[in-house]
Amino acid sequence: MGNASSTHKISAQDRAILDLKNQRDKLHKYQKRVTILTDQEKAIAKQCLARNDQGRARLALRRKKYQESLLAKTDAQLEQLEKLVGQVEFALVQKDVLYGLQEGTKVLQTINKEMGGIEGVEKLMEETEEARAYQEEIKNMLAGQLSNQDEDEVDAELEALEREVIKLPSVPITQPPVKLKGLEDERIAGEQEEAEKERTRIALPA
Amino acid sequence: MASASQLPTIPVPGTTTPFQFPPTYSFPPFFTPQPNSSTRLSQLQKWSSLIQSWCRHHRVYRLSLIEAVESPLFHNAALRKRISLSEARAILDWMARGEEEGGGGKRSEWIDGGNKTMAWIWWRRPEEWAGIIMDWVEGTGQKNMVLTVYELVEGEGTMSQEFHGMDSDIMLKSLTILVKRGKAQVFGSEGQEGVKFF
Repeated sequence: MGNASSTHKISAQDRAILDLKNQRDKLHKYQKRVTILTDQEKAIAKQCLARNDQGRARLALRRKKYQESLLAKTDAQLEQLEKLVGQVEFALVQKDVLYGLQEGTKVLQTINKEMGGIEGVEKLMEETEEARAYQEEIKNMLAGQLSNQDEDEVDAELEALEREVIKLPSVPITQPPVKLKGLEDERIAGEQEEAEKERTRIALPA
Repeated sequence: MASASQLPTIPVPGTTTPFQFPPTYSFPPFFTPQPNSSTRLSQLQKWSSLIQSWCRHHRVYRLSLIEAVESPLFHNAALRKRISLSEARAILDWMARGEEEGGGGKRSEWIDGGNKTMAWIWWRRPEEWAGIIMDWVEGTGQKNMVLTVYELVEGEGTMSQEFHGMDSDIMLKSLTILVKRGKAQVFGSEGQEGVKFF
């Protein structure tokens, strides 16, 4: 199936289908023959009527009627045969589909087997969890060790830093002369607004 | 005597429009073997194409020479000219030879060997038919299906195809070519052959 390209084998099913189809062809041929016969009978009946021979015309028409009934019967048989051929061909398609499903399932199963089944996966997940927990422990241990040893040093450094930050506010004490200059400027009338702006500018760096 | 309007004595399945003969058909020297070799070659080529298109039009696959010399193909009643049996044989002989042998490209083939009274006229060579049949099988999704040869030639499914009503011998010849190419397998008893396409 599928990849067998070099050797095309004719299976027993193929032969059976051929037999069925041959039967169908035979019926086709038979119908052709009977149709020709009915046409002939009709022509004969016409000829007989032309010769005013009613008896023979009737006989010919009777034969024609009989042949037409045969034709109807073969039609029914033909339908049966064609149905059967259709069913067989459909069954073959179904077989192919089933084969495809089987192959697919097999592949899926082997892949699953390679993964070691549900238990294997569960075990693997457990192991992963364990390894992660172990890693966490190691990390915590390392982190803990560090803090125990250096806790005091860290605290000391923090205190030193804090002290430096608190000392800083004493720096601006040297600034007052700039503020006095600003007071003198205030006395000058008319330029009060500018003086104010200037003061704010000087005040900011303080 | 047969006249040009009369149907040929060879059976003509389902043709409605009359065959249009080429202008050379009304040219009297066309019916006499030409002595000059180059004129003769051109005459043979024209006869070959006329025979092929006439057979294609009338769906004639095997040509009986005895009947053909009486038919309008070889007998122009209007000109009162006809091709003699021996000249017809000479034309078909030329057609039967391959182009490399100075012939007409194997467009005919004697059926009865040395007697030379019946010939296949290959307006389509079996190889060409094989291609057409295979195209039809592929186009209708009938690969891997069992079909009877009768069904291919006479079935309702092939009604619109050019090979419908084809001589079953030619059908079998064409199928044999497909078998050789590995595209088909013919099986079953004689006269009831089935074919499976791959």
